[in-house]
Amino acid sequence: MLEDKLFIFRFKQGRPDALRQIYDKYKVELLKLSVVLAGDINTAEDIVHDVFVKFAQSAERIKLIGSLKNYLVTSAINRIRNHLRNSNRRCETSLEGTESITSSEREPYQWAILSERLKLLSEALQQLPYEQREVICFRMEMDMTFSRIARLQGTSVNTVKGRYRYGINKLRSLLNSEVDK
Amino acid sequence: MNSADKIKRFFKKAELGINPDADEKVFNDMLAQQKTKEQVPAKPEIWRITMKSPIVKLAAAAVIIVLVVLGLFEFIGTENTSGVVWAEVARKVQSSRGVVYREKGSSTEYKYPKGPGYNIIYLVPKYYRSDGYNGEGELWISMYDNRETGIRIVLLHGQKGYVREKMTMTEAGDQKHADTIDPRKWVQKFMSCKYSKLGQKTIDGVLSEGIETTDLTLVGGAVNHLQIDSFVARLWVSVETGYPVLLKGEFTGQHSGNMVIDQFQWDVELDPSVFEPNIPPDYEQM
Repeated sequence: MLEDKLFIFRFKQGRPDALRQIYDKYKVELLKLSVVLAGDINTAEDIVHDVFVKFAQSAERIKLIGSLKNYLVTSAINRIRNHLRNSNRRCETSLEGTESITSSEREPYQWAILSERLKLLSEALQQLPYEQREVICFRMEMDMTFSRIARLQGTSVNTVKGRYRYGINKLRSLLNSEVDK
Repeated sequence: MNSADKIKRFFKKAELGINPDADEKVFNDMLAQQKTKEQVPAKPEIWRITMKSPIVKLAAAAVIIVLVVLGLFEFIGTENTSGVVWAEVARKVQSSRGVVYREKGSSTEYKYPKGPGYNIIYLVPKYYRSDGYNGEGELWISMYDNRETGIRIVLLHGQKGYVREKMTMTEAGDQKHADTIDPRKWVQKFMSCKYSKLGQKTIDGVLSEGIETTDLTLVGGAVNHLQIDSFVARLWVSVETGYPVLLKGEFTGQHSGNMVIDQFQWDVELDPSVFEPNIPPDYEQM
């Protein structure tokens, strides 16, 4: 937190080293979150790229008050939700609409390189309804509290806990013995 | 270990690597966007925020305290409660012609790819230079500000590139920038906070006298907003020379970390060539 305040302070002064530090600090976390939520590596890369480029333009708007991490995570989540909503619309109007799956290609120009474990996790998570997927990812990867997740999803804590419980049970059956390794 | 714990462990172990070439492309896109925007001074914004409501005011105060402890921001109140020795310190650092120092810090929140690095800063009233090193001691960035011409040049050594830009800050922002990077101001700011004396201690072979300030009692509940449980900063000054030798801030909470400013060389006359950016011929403008 303290370090972030320092980064933002310097970023607002137009210092590229601060931008670099912010980028280095959060790129992996945002990419990983986007991969497991969006389920497609190319989409995840596009989203995180967009988040960072827009952030670089935001020196006038970004505040010292508040959490830099929350700002970036929320930006990514909003874009993922929009993307999935638009994709669903396209699927509804297309007879050949197919569900996105995690890319297995590792092109040399690809930004993110997924471990086998992350690919497996991402594929399993795509079997969950999106709201459950969010709760599981926020809780497991971002260490968010149920109340914060409830605020992000605009619902009650009890609903979030229910989604978490169902999500865990489903994941356990999907991943089976993999989680014991 | 229950199912949730096992799945959490699985999450944490699911790793993602980064392709360095694509990584630089993305960062360059960001850099290009940043360059198109004018720099803005931070202080007026904070001032507006703190004036809005008591709750926000507390939260803003917490941030300001944190920055004060790092010596980066001017805090409310100018009353100096220091004794004779400390007043002399403030006077001496104010009249220092040039200063060189090192700044470094780390936080458990951030996994530094090559370990936490440090910056070496060279400063005189008209010029500022910062050399940034990563945790393996490699120079990765150099920044040169010429406050006379308003030109900033940034060398990114890993990319063999450089950025030349006009500093477009307003007069207020310009002054803010000058204050922010000037450790002579930091001592003044530190001493404008409530502090307690620490007595004497030998720091790097130098007999020093210290003062300490904490923020918790000052910001109260706003600390929760920052998720910091405790915070303390200490300033150590050489008994013999009267110049600061160490400024250190530490915090604990959800994450812990520290910031250290040391290896000071006070009142030095720095050759102008120190501030002359020598751009290697194979570096390209970005």
